[in-house]
Amino acid sequence: MTVRSIGIIARREIRDTLSDWRLLLPIVILSLVFPAVLVAATNIFINFIDEPNVVRAIVPFAMLLIGFIPASFSLITALESFVGERERNSLEALLAMPISDGQLYIGKLLSALLPPLGSALVAMGVFALLLRLREPALFAQGLKTEYAVTIVLLLAAKAVLMVAGAVIISSHTSSIRAANLLASFVLLPTAALIQVEALYIVAGLWWQLRIFALALAIIAAVLVRTGMNAFNREEILSREHEQFNLRGIWRTFKTYLRAYHPVEVPASAYVDRFSLNRFYRRELPALLRDFRLPLAVACIAALCGIIGGVYVSQRYQLPWLDGFLDRQIGQTAGQGVRFGFGIFFNNIRVALLSSLLSALSFGLFAFLVPAVAFGQVALVTTTLAGRGTGWVLGNTDSPLAFLVAYILPHGIIELPVAILAAALGIRMGASLMPNQRGVSVGQNMLWALAQFIKVYVLVIVPLYLLAALLEGLVTPIIVRLVY
Amino acid sequence: MIEAVHLSKSFGTFQAVQDISLNVKEGELVALLGPNGAGKTTTVRMLAAILRPSTGHARIGGYDIVEDAARVRHIVGLLTEFPGLYLRMKPVEYLQFFGELQGVSRADCRQRSEQLLKRFDLWPARDKRLDAYSKGMKQKIALLRAMIHEPQVLYLDEPTTAMDPHSARTVRDAIGELRAARRTVLLTTHNLAEAEDLADRIVIIFGGQIIAQGTRAELTRELLGDPIWEVQVGTRAAGLAAVISAFAPVVAEGTDWLRFRTTDAARVNPQIMSALAERHVPVIKLNDLPRSLEDVYLRIVGELHAERGTWSGTVANKAEDVVEVAS
Repeated sequence: MTVRSIGIIARREIRDTLSDWRLLLPIVILSLVFPAVLVAATNIFINFIDEPNVVRAIVPFAMLLIGFIPASFSLITALESFVGERERNSLEALLAMPISDGQLYIGKLLSALLPPLGSALVAMGVFALLLRLREPALFAQGLKTEYAVTIVLLLAAKAVLMVAGAVIISSHTSSIRAANLLASFVLLPTAALIQVEALYIVAGLWWQLRIFALALAIIAAVLVRTGMNAFNREEILSREHEQFNLRGIWRTFKTYLRAYHPVEVPASAYVDRFSLNRFYRRELPALLRDFRLPLAVACIAALCGIIGGVYVSQRYQLPWLDGFLDRQIGQTAGQGVRFGFGIFFNNIRVALLSSLLSALSFGLFAFLVPAVAFGQVALVTTTLAGRGTGWVLGNTDSPLAFLVAYILPHGIIELPVAILAAALGIRMGASLMPNQRGVSVGQNMLWALAQFIKVYVLVIVPLYLLAALLEGLVTPIIVRLVY
Repeated sequence: MIEAVHLSKSFGTFQAVQDISLNVKEGELVALLGPNGAGKTTTVRMLAAILRPSTGHARIGGYDIVEDAARVRHIVGLLTEFPGLYLRMKPVEYLQFFGELQGVSRADCRQRSEQLLKRFDLWPARDKRLDAYSKGMKQKIALLRAMIHEPQVLYLDEPTTAMDPHSARTVRDAIGELRAARRTVLLTTHNLAEAEDLADRIVIIFGGQIIAQGTRAELTRELLGDPIWEVQVGTRAAGLAAVISAFAPVVAEGTDWLRFRTTDAARVNPQIMSALAERHVPVIKLNDLPRSLEDVYLRIVGELHAERGTWSGTVANKAEDVVEVAS
């Protein structure tokens, strides 16, 4: 009965999708017409670029793009399948059937996934075939089988990612309109992924792309599992009783600012007034203890950055970096209070924006901040170490001198603060995920936002200010002393 | 067939259903009445094993609604509040889809769909897609969806809503047939005449709680008191109250009529008639005052609404009328 029920549900929904000309027409155009147009324009493109290596490198990316556009319909089909059915009041009849939540979820997941993915494969097939016929040389050099397989894997992982994300969104809304607005939570990170993949493809990093596809598949599997938890009869039907009350939300948010309690403590149980003394003495340590997991994830991000920096430095020749180091090592980009304030405003802006955008991207943007910060440090340190002049202080190319002079004086404050800010952002992104503590997503998000605001104002901003002043006033002195 | 014990359900801080206990025997048809938001749909959803109760438990056909949820959903047919059909499907495809999900073979689904479509006058429209159906036809299809696997228990939420009188009659007849076939039916409705006509027993829900249940006669007696009889005379009624009150309590009087209560009309009414005849009072008419389920419902729900200050003016007058008659 298990597989049969899944099949019955998936079959009906696929037929439903394919009988809707509003979906069918764009899918057909994107699967058949778009690849043909792109291949027809290849000659113009080749003449315009006039650089065979670049054209060859771009061919797999073109294939990825051709596949991605119809595959992105999975977001629409998923929202239709999950929220649309609820909006049309047809979901309850399905919920009354003797099938489990999981069977229903998988049936719907497959039905949302298969038509767009199928049309993506058709589109890529048409592209490959037409390219083979019109530009056989370009096809042979630019579109090897291993490339095509990697692109298909990337697309499949992204389609599952989008559908799983859409289901999580669907579980928090009851109308298509609201779901479409919330779809940016999925589109933003997906757009970022496409850009990263484009860079990898153009750089010809196919082995790394396969690792990337594997990582995406793992994230997709986690999201599918999360979606499965979110899609259950209780959650779906309970949502009918929720009401949007802006005044109530603001009141709850202010309550969360007053004191620190774990997320599962309801706002009605907060009795304390805000106390700065209590915050620094008791609540901040408790918050850091409770944020162990996001802090660990932010540390992993930093570690990934370090590994990435070391890898890039050892794998590639970076003449621009060498030139930059030759010119700048021993010098400072600026000094003084004004310079410090410039750094300060940049840092607090990055912390604020990355954390707020994390709320829309499952924590991705906050994850990137420590990764980039530590990655830069690792890149420079390893590049200097690669010059082979040793770690002794006093040597211009010494990595130790770089760390002691340029990083340590202010970085000892700035880098841990970057990790703390990232952890708060990651926690906000994670509040979109259903949790086991019986806390609604709205309450979870509001609570995480309140903790972020409180710690941002009372901890991150003052410490970033201190770090920036050290960078403007102390670091230049130490640089002069060391070099 | 349906045994619910102290069922409660809350959504966050909102208490939708509180401590509902209900027993429905096999072949019995029970009507669930109550204003909007009373907790009827949540109760039905719990009994259909779609929602888990916060506290309490229930068994349907011997199966626990939490432990054996899939079995419960298999023996139950649910007509939801809104038809919610897949409009691009044709009726046979639609019924087949739900029949197959219930484990019925494709051939049996086809055969049963044909029978049901013919029974409900939808066979001539079998080749049309459901989006071409009228409101009433859609409601019928939703009802057929609940019946396609021949369930032992049926939960029908507003089955005749949006139907024309002929279709509503067809559906009511079908419900009557289901009862005759010993199917257990829980009927949720705002149509009190329908409940009065079909139900063996009536359960009134208000604020998530059962506030009254019983047969129509039991509820009427309990809430409106003993039956009221009205005697109309050919002269002025002044002074006749003393005569009648020797046999039964008089509850109201007009210029040429009097009303009295009695549960023993067979004994009391002839005595009153004799007493009036002895005094040469010409009796034009003696009849019992009709008291409908609507009177009972408005009385009980009206009082609760009035207590909570949520009663609308129009209906309040009607309720007051009822109260006046009853007093």
